[in-house]
Amino acid sequence: MNNLFQYVPGKSVIHRMNPITKLLITIVICVAAFLSDRLLFLAGLLAVDLLIGVIGGVANRTWQIFRGLLKIAIFLFLLQVLLTRKGTPVFWIITDQGLLTAGKVVLRLVVVCMPLALMLAVTRISDLTNALVQVLHVPYQYAFTLSTAIRFIPQFMEEMSGIMEAQTARGVAFDKARGLKKFSMILPLCAPLLISSVRRTDQTAAAAEVRGFRLRTRQSGYKRYPFTGVDFGAFVFCGALLAAAIIL
Amino acid sequence: MICFKDLSFTYKGEKAPALSEINLTVEDGGFLGIIGPAGAGKTTLARAITGMIPHHYTGDFYGSVAVNGLDTVDTSIDEISRMVGMVFQDVESQIISPLVEDEILYGLENFGVPREEIPQRMAEALQKVGIADLQERSIASLSGGQRQKVAIASIIALKPQVLVLDEPTGELDPRSSRQIFSLLKELNEEQGITVILIEQKIMLLCEFAKQLAVVSGGKIIRQGNTRDVLAHADELQALGVNCPRVTTLSRMLSEKTGAAQPVCINLEEAEKMVRRLIG
Amino acid sequence: MITLENVSFAYADQGPSVQDVSFRLEKGEFAAILGANGAGKTTTVRLMDGLLKPTSGRVLINDMDTVKSQVSERARKVGFLFQNPDRQICKNTVREEILFGLRTVRGDEGEEALQARTDEVLKDFHFTGDEEPFSLSRGQRQRVALASILAVEPEILILDEPTTGLDYLECCHIMDRIRKMNEEKQVTVIMVCHDMEVVLDYARRALVMAGGRLLADGPVKEIFRNTELMEKASILPPQMIGLGLRLGDGFENADTPEGMAEAVMARRGKGGAGA
Repeated sequence: MNNLFQYVPGKSVIHRMNPITKLLITIVICVAAFLSDRLLFLAGLLAVDLLIGVIGGVANRTWQIFRGLLKIAIFLFLLQVLLTRKGTPVFWIITDQGLLTAGKVVLRLVVVCMPLALMLAVTRISDLTNALVQVLHVPYQYAFTLSTAIRFIPQFMEEMSGIMEAQTARGVAFDKARGLKKFSMILPLCAPLLISSVRRTDQTAAAAEVRGFRLRTRQSGYKRYPFTGVDFGAFVFCGALLAAAIIL
Repeated sequence: MICFKDLSFTYKGEKAPALSEINLTVEDGGFLGIIGPAGAGKTTLARAITGMIPHHYTGDFYGSVAVNGLDTVDTSIDEISRMVGMVFQDVESQIISPLVEDEILYGLENFGVPREEIPQRMAEALQKVGIADLQERSIASLSGGQRQKVAIASIIALKPQVLVLDEPTGELDPRSSRQIFSLLKELNEEQGITVILIEQKIMLLCEFAKQLAVVSGGKIIRQGNTRDVLAHADELQALGVNCPRVTTLSRMLSEKTGAAQPVCINLEEAEKMVRRLIG
Repeated sequence: MITLENVSFAYADQGPSVQDVSFRLEKGEFAAILGANGAGKTTTVRLMDGLLKPTSGRVLINDMDTVKSQVSERARKVGFLFQNPDRQICKNTVREEILFGLRTVRGDEGEEALQARTDEVLKDFHFTGDEEPFSLSRGQRQRVALASILAVEPEILILDEPTTGLDYLECCHIMDRIRKMNEEKQVTVIMVCHDMEVVLDYARRALVMAGGRLLADGPVKEIFRNTELMEKASILPPQMIGLGLRLGDGFENADTPEGMAEAVMARRGKGGAGA
């Protein structure tokens, strides 16, 4: 869990792609998932997600993310199936339409979430923010906010597990509790966590400031992000995917 | 040169002043150690040098601080940061990037260091701090001590004229701490960088700093050459500031022999003193 | 008491960080684990409380294997003071913080007894009880954390760099309190500490680690005087011991400035040298 959002170094085609291209692929997959209403097409998109993970050389991570999403997906699926009243009953209170809608909702969720998490695995955050600033002319302040937020995820996790460890050691039974019980035990600990996070954010801002945060211009990034053949190939793929989503 | 003139500062929303009537001058090429109990105002002092006070942390500001003759109130943080580099006490909040390499790059990019110079600067900074092997690693995979070294390297890479460090070795073991102190000494002596170092590790501080300032309750209680300050060991101890044990030994021997012994700051000096005394 | 039998531990995707460590800590001991960054000290103390489970070997607390019970169940017996008090403190006042710890592990004793115990601890630590932990200094917060751990009266106290980030006086406050518990209540103490002067002043036994292995185990002063061992473990001995070793000739027995000064004066007396 701790490293679910962390960058995995590599030299795959996906790694070498322009960060903007990767962002585009992510967005296109999301858009396609909402444009199409066909179960088969959604399943196809899922295959595309998994394929990206494999080509990117992060098959393990892809599987991890998939497994994580599956838990939420199953929960949502059951909820949807049990709540849908339309259609003909298949057995008990479950209807054929319920199954179909639930399948689509869940598939859409997985299809949309996977590329976002995968992108973080194959793209350095600094490359993403620098490319956003250089290529798309996004103001640096916004790009910085994004990168800091992502940088905070592992820090937050680390702090949380540190707090839980300390509480366990003094007798709070985190090591015995499961599910909702555990969640209700974590809740009161969130106050100190938030206090320290806010304090920390302010200090991070100060630290960035004394290292020339305001001096940064669009051209400051050390690396440049030109589009290459791989990127144009990806553009064609994105176009095809969108077209398919509209037609199918 | 850094010059404090009658500086008093109270953080917005606080009643008691964090600093009161600070007068302090650090010459170019100086190596000043700042010591004092917790909550004495040491960090506030560092913030005043970098211009974070009054620009980032607001409050009642009286008197003046000048860095290279520029009044920090009239100078932007950007301009000051080109001269002054600062390593923060809380490493976690100082590190901005998820990767070591990016963390070192960050300041270099912002200050517009020429592209062809960057690889060299980065390699040099990492190597000096002794973490060349960590360049490609993610910050999350590093220990507290390693993170602290990354933070130091990211500032050293900027080659500031003045280096302010707020307890930069808290997470480091004695050997690594000594390494960092030696590096600071090297930067100070060979490149003439002014070093201002806040530190609780009194033994190392006394050995390396040329000058000492003792801060307590927002005031500078004593300042001067390290040895001169240490000569007032009793006064320091009353404030809750420890002295190196060799210094305590020279004070005890002065009392017992009834003759003033030199103020020792390291083992070599203590050995010499004892050998002279026992003939 | 705690026994480690051939304990090894490796974090996921990493090489072993503790390898084949064995030692036994008797009741009432005061031991310190020494070594450079990355020597495996913190991992070892975490293994001792079962916060980490050994990949091989066994850790026994009072002859009970740590894998056979949960960490939280042991909190009554084993107190753990972390480097960062903020991860432990979760209540708005010092009184509530101490009560929280007591209620968690001594809830069966009834509210009245716990309130009385809280009053006792507050008095002992010179807190009024109404202080808000997050507006206190780091050193004060560490004292709050220590107070709430000692309130439950554990038999074993594990300390992971308890004085990092504290000034000299705060450090003395914390360590004096721990020594008092050790001497008066026979609490077993094991600590990881980077300040060798503190180790010399407080600990009686030292365990030296390097590269995940236990290099040596013995009385603190003996360990510090083993120059070769210190070199191997990248440790600089405390100043007075270092000075004694440099001087040799009987001076190596002094370990405090007082002792050293006396030794010097005694030698001057014998040699008849004038002031």
